[in-house]
Amino acid sequence: MSLPIEVKDLSFQYEEGAAKILRHLDLSVAKGEIVGIVGLSGIGKSTLCFCLSGIIPHVYGGIMEGEVLLNGQSSRELSLPTIATTLGLVFQNPDHQLFAFNVEDELAFGPENLCVPRAEIARRIEEVLAIVGMQDYRHANPQQLSGGQRQLIAVAAVLCLQPEILIFDEAMSQIDAEGRAKLKAVMLRLKDQGKTMVMIDHDLDNLQIADRVLVLKEGRLFPYTGSLS
Amino acid sequence: MTWQLTTLDPRTKLIIVLCLSSLAVFCQNIYLLLLVLLLTLIVVKLTGGELGQLFSKFKKFIKVFLAVIVIQSIFTNEGQVLLQVMQIKLLTDVGLLRGLQTVLRFLIVIAAAVVMTTANSRDIIQGLIQWKVPYELAFMVTIAIRFLPLLQEEATDTLTALQLRGVNLKKIPILKRLRTYSYLLMPLLTSVLIKARDLSVAMEMRAFRAYPQRTSLRELHFARIDYFVIVLSMLLFQLLLWAALVLS
Ligand SMILES: Nc1ncnc2c1ncn2[C@@H]1O[C@H](COP(=O)(O)OP(=O)(O)OP(=O)(O)O)[C@@H](O)[C@H]1O
Ligand SMILES: [Mg+2]
Repeated sequence: MSLPIEVKDLSFQYEEGAAKILRHLDLSVAKGEIVGIVGLSGIGKSTLCFCLSGIIPHVYGGIMEGEVLLNGQSSRELSLPTIATTLGLVFQNPDHQLFAFNVEDELAFGPENLCVPRAEIARRIEEVLAIVGMQDYRHANPQQLSGGQRQLIAVAAVLCLQPEILIFDEAMSQIDAEGRAKLKAVMLRLKDQGKTMVMIDHDLDNLQIADRVLVLKEGRLFPYTGSLS
Repeated sequence: MTWQLTTLDPRTKLIIVLCLSSLAVFCQNIYLLLLVLLLTLIVVKLTGGELGQLFSKFKKFIKVFLAVIVIQSIFTNEGQVLLQVMQIKLLTDVGLLRGLQTVLRFLIVIAAAVVMTTANSRDIIQGLIQWKVPYELAFMVTIAIRFLPLLQEEATDTLTALQLRGVNLKKIPILKRLRTYSYLLMPLLTSVLIKARDLSVAMEMRAFRAYPQRTSLRELHFARIDYFVIVLSMLLFQLLLWAALVLS
């Protein structure tokens, strides 16, 4: 059986002549595993997320070598919407991912695209709003929420899709301690359901729930041994 | 039945607006156009639009309207001259009439557009989708509605930043001012393009266009009042169209 995520000899640079952000990087994530990734600012964590989710090479130019396999299929051969049916990405910046007029529409957008029946969409919205503790904001305008609240909605929007693979790019950076604890509990529950997760974070406390923690440095991943550099 | 029609289905409002604006195009007779304008204003009031705001909008167009009347007068070689400056006929009765026609048409269309602003834009999109407009197209409209105000905001921000640095645009000669605007255009355009890219990525990462179909949490249903209003609009539309034909 193929692994949910398998990265083979991945190298990437945004432009010819620019620095190689990722160099011969390998990564395998098993089903039901939570992998944490840490690294210094600007080291390429978000870039790695873009590679894992197919945004690189589909959206950004740049030079990508090596391969990212999702359930055994190369990300080059899958379109972004197809990838999105099995993989959900929570972006680092919530401003770049919310576009609807109200929270309810925002959450419904994903499952609507997956042709989920109406009643089921309504049920999922209620469920994820309860998970992130934002029930009172169902009809609020996402643009008028605080940064942390928007981040919670961005997470909820991805949870609503019920993807098999979840990638969190510093999804907890603006969320308060209570929200983080809740979210971690949700992740553990999703893990029990067999979901695969990659979470990127600055804060090692958030990575307690990870099965293993890797450090990104010099364009590659190393097991975490207590220091970032 | 109450006369508060604020909760009309957006599709009903769309039909009313289509009727009114087609009438604006077809009617030639000034009195008929006035009647259509009156009807439009009534509809605006009943659907919960702001008449006050509308009138202040009208006021902004007064100069344009005067210009239209003068231009029509200058370029039509018929009718009696009402006002002449040197060799130029600034106002003729035919010109005045044609100018008034154009102005009334403008007013009707502007007022009719206000009716649509009383509907929630998400509902308008849903209405279009239920009318079998491809959803990609409908979403393009949503995104445009969503992001135009943001764009405007960004433009004002850049201008303010410029003014804070002591550049007084009003005092710069026009050519130089145009060049300053062109400097603003590039960063604005870049930020718009980046925003558009990020947005399309975010949408695709949530499976937008994964399948040729999609479901919808929201569903619009016509109420009895909608059917009533639609039938009434259609009848009035035909009556007025007939009147327009007879009077032309
Ligand atoms: N679109 C782009 N074009 C060119 N260079 C880029 C682009 N995006 C990022 N970079 C560069 O790639 C490097 C890695 O950026 P990336 O955003 O992946 O870092 P990060 O580890 O996520 O940082 P942070 O902790 O701040 O989120 C940075 O040096 C950045 O300047
Ligand atoms: Mg980052």
